Amino acid sequence: MKLSAIMPVARVLRRELAVTALLLLGVSAVVFAVLYLAPGDPLNVLLEGQSPRSQLAVGAREALGVPQTWYGRYGTWLAKVLQGNFGNSIRTGLPVLPELARVGVNTLVLTLGSLLFTLVIAVPIAVHAAVNGDTAGNTAATVAAYIVSAVPVFWFGYIVVYVFMNKLGMFPLLSGTATKQPHAWLYFLVPIFVLGTASGTLAELIRHLREELSRVLAEDYIRTARAKGAPVWRHAFKEGFLIPVTEIMSAKIPFLLGGAVIVEQVFNWPGMGRMAWQAAQDRDFPVIMGIALVAAAFVRTGNLLQRVVFTVVNPRASKE
Amino acid sequence: MDPLLSMENLRTYFYSRAKRAFIRSVDGASLSVARGETLGVVGESGSGKSVTALSAAGLVTAGPGVISGRIELRSNGTGYNLLDGLEKYARVTEQDGRVMAVEKDERGWRTHAEKLMAGVRGKKIAMIFQNPRSALNPYSTVGKQLVETIRLHTSFRGMGEAKERAIYWLERVRIDSPRLRFDNFPFGMSGGMCQRAMLAMALSAEPSLLIADEPTTGLDATIQSRIVELLAELKAETAVATILISHDISVIQRLSDRVAVMYGGTVVETGRVEEVLAPEVKVRHPYTAALLASIPNAETIRRKSYLQAIEGDVLDTIEVPRGCRFYGRCNRVTDAVRERCAGLEPPLAEVAPGHTLRCWLYPAAAKTEATAAQGTPA
Amino acid sequence: MRRYLQTPGPVGEFSALPLLQRAETLDLVYVGYGLLILALVLASYLLGALGWLPADPRAMNVELINAAPFTAGHPLGTDFLGRDLQARLILGIQAYFLPGLLAIAIAVAGGAVLGVLAGYKGGWLAAVITYFDNLLDSFPRLVLILLVIAAFKPDIYAIMVVVGITGMPVTSNLIAGKISFLRQKNFIEAAHALGLPAHTVILKHILWLNCRALLVIQATLGMAEAILVETSLSYLGFGVQEPTPSWGNMVQAGANYFLQGNFWPSTAPALAILATILGFQLLGDGLNNVLEGKRRR
Repeated sequence: MKLSAIMPVARVLRRELAVTALLLLGVSAVVFAVLYLAPGDPLNVLLEGQSPRSQLAVGAREALGVPQTWYGRYGTWLAKVLQGNFGNSIRTGLPVLPELARVGVNTLVLTLGSLLFTLVIAVPIAVHAAVNGDTAGNTAATVAAYIVSAVPVFWFGYIVVYVFMNKLGMFPLLSGTATKQPHAWLYFLVPIFVLGTASGTLAELIRHLREELSRVLAEDYIRTARAKGAPVWRHAFKEGFLIPVTEIMSAKIPFLLGGAVIVEQVFNWPGMGRMAWQAAQDRDFPVIMGIALVAAAFVRTGNLLQRVVFTVVNPRASKE
Repeated sequence: MDPLLSMENLRTYFYSRAKRAFIRSVDGASLSVARGETLGVVGESGSGKSVTALSAAGLVTAGPGVISGRIELRSNGTGYNLLDGLEKYARVTEQDGRVMAVEKDERGWRTHAEKLMAGVRGKKIAMIFQNPRSALNPYSTVGKQLVETIRLHTSFRGMGEAKERAIYWLERVRIDSPRLRFDNFPFGMSGGMCQRAMLAMALSAEPSLLIADEPTTGLDATIQSRIVELLAELKAETAVATILISHDISVIQRLSDRVAVMYGGTVVETGRVEEVLAPEVKVRHPYTAALLASIPNAETIRRKSYLQAIEGDVLDTIEVPRGCRFYGRCNRVTDAVRERCAGLEPPLAEVAPGHTLRCWLYPAAAKTEATAAQGTPA
Repeated sequence: MRRYLQTPGPVGEFSALPLLQRAETLDLVYVGYGLLILALVLASYLLGALGWLPADPRAMNVELINAAPFTAGHPLGTDFLGRDLQARLILGIQAYFLPGLLAIAIAVAGGAVLGVLAGYKGGWLAAVITYFDNLLDSFPRLVLILLVIAAFKPDIYAIMVVVGITGMPVTSNLIAGKISFLRQKNFIEAAHALGLPAHTVILKHILWLNCRALLVIQATLGMAEAILVETSLSYLGFGVQEPTPSWGNMVQAGANYFLQGNFWPSTAPALAILATILGFQLLGDGLNNVLEGKRRR
């Protein structure tokens, strides 16, 4: 690629990065607002390292350097967060960020894996439907995708556990503790399969990709490609496949993270979702706050990547 | 001399789900183009011109599409039957002369047609379209799209030589600073520029036949005349046979050797341009006469006479009448032929060498009908 | 092989029912199924609210634990305490129905206001609303709800307010998109040129005449999401607590007996969730295809 082609892309990406930073600032403000308004003074836990019930005299607080105004507290809190100090877990007493990094990887594997699994199922159905229109086969596949997407993921998890344990004799199916077991890779894949199947992403991916691809296949420039004897997929790929797929993937990350909370619960998967559930049970503010921030950062990163793909692929994106 | 492309009795139908009826876009059209010749196809919108062109290039996508007919291409000594085996994929049921049911294995036909078209479409038959700005791929540079065609269809396989060839073609379609334009995306270019690039792309495959489907429609008037000039120059330079489709009679007059007038999905008159479209000719189809009366020419301007609109609406190709398709709008019906006009479609009859038309007003039609009736035992 | 048949006789007799006629059969099946589910949910909600249940949902019967369907007196079987599943399923709708309506009302009304502000006013306001929409979309809904739960220990209605707020961006984007489409067609300029006041243009010509189908569709899809959230939270133990039934806590409670081979007490509410979410989703998508012309090729 020539430099002249990269420059406008770089300009757009700078803007996207700035937008992402601004959104993450907003995310931090929302999280702060929730904690600020919450009863039981959770902010003190974060700012002073005290238990919520401890009452300090006003003078003592100032001596500790904790400001009283909301903006002062936000500033202090944000500065700590930016330094990677998310506080210590109330339950375990461990610093939150290293813990999050440890389990966050598991959640990343779970969500990205299930996204990949959904793609593998959805793309052939959607492409076939877009190319061939309504045939009995792909109508059936689309309806099946709707039904599968409406299956409650927690129940589906039990079904899968039951089938593996009682019918296939694999026991126990607790992926977190099963790493030393035979078939460890299988235990690892089952939650990915469950989340990828029943998270509701399947039907939406099929519908979006199918609509976009059939719209693009009806475009004049695809007719031109056919008229000149060129392979259609080569011309339809960018607008008809790459853009819609990355769009829906980025849009579905929040849903998958939400689904991960449940799937991790069902399968005892040692990830962020399970940690969030535990933290909500215990009102462990530093942990749940850290999870909300990290999850939002994950969502924004996915979105940023999608914008990068779109800008690089679409020459108009950087000119307008 | 054998024609380069001949099309006989082509029927391309679509289907209206809402009306549960066929849209008979092309309904028994026949035409042919000789080597080096430009055939102009003219008619109102909805007369089936563009669908005829798309059918010839195998580009009809909606169902049922082409259901019967013959399209043959003879190029460099080899003959291609572009609808070979169609009857195996499409079963047409007629009830008193009218198609009432079609069963078509569309996927099977599509696969088969792609095989028939391999090495023909883009290579032997190249095409340009109306609305050139949407006809170029907006996600790719003009140069890349040209290079792709050149590498697909010519012996310039290497990247470097294909690029040089692409720039050569951009020059030939009179694009300024072709080396700069090579890296442009279509969205930064004007409609006229895009049409030139389309033309360069079509011609770069060195095809035997160029189909230009309304090449000036959707462009500004001044750009239109420049594109027409360019087409005229390229015609003289390359001698590529062309099917030129346009509703604009002046474009057809300027560029064509022969002309086919289409109405209601069929060809109603063919012949040399000077025989069919010249103002002083007396023998002509009433529809052609009405078309010519509806556009300004030197004569009407000099006499300051009114232009005449064609009475009635364009034929609804869903409900095609039994008799002459133009009967409902014709202003030259006489009592002598009225009954035949209303009840029986006239055949395409030769009124002069190389000049055929479909009209009961001319005795030739009656004669053709009589010989046809003798030939087939009643 | 595809068949195309022309009906004999004059063409165009079918114009009497233009909408039904234009719709694809499959979409009508979607909508029909959705309406059936909607009617069932409504009827069951009313039965539950009025207390007209086929059996006492709290009466235990230790003799008849985890009974299969079609047991005498318990057409849908019983749960792990021998309670009637049919009655508990009907009563379980109470857990999400009114809260779900609240979430829908907030999502649709709030989304409409934001969408109109962004699309109609434009300028910096549109930029702010886009920012707000993207901000809400940044949080996984369940994680945000868990954060709120940790902070406030709220009840289901407060949670549904969060669900409603996080549902606003979708509606707002759709309405802003519709308005910019209407602008392209010079529809709004034409309305102004006629001298119509802004509120007439917004309320009547934009929202009522052009966006009502869209709003109904979003409300329908919103119900599916509300059910999903409520059942998930109940499953996680943050929603309705035993012994009050909710489909989510019924699945969870039944799951303890799942691995012993007693599927039914957990599967019955799971199927209810499946059928209902599917119903609302198909209703929304089917209506979208029929009313908004998002037709398949």
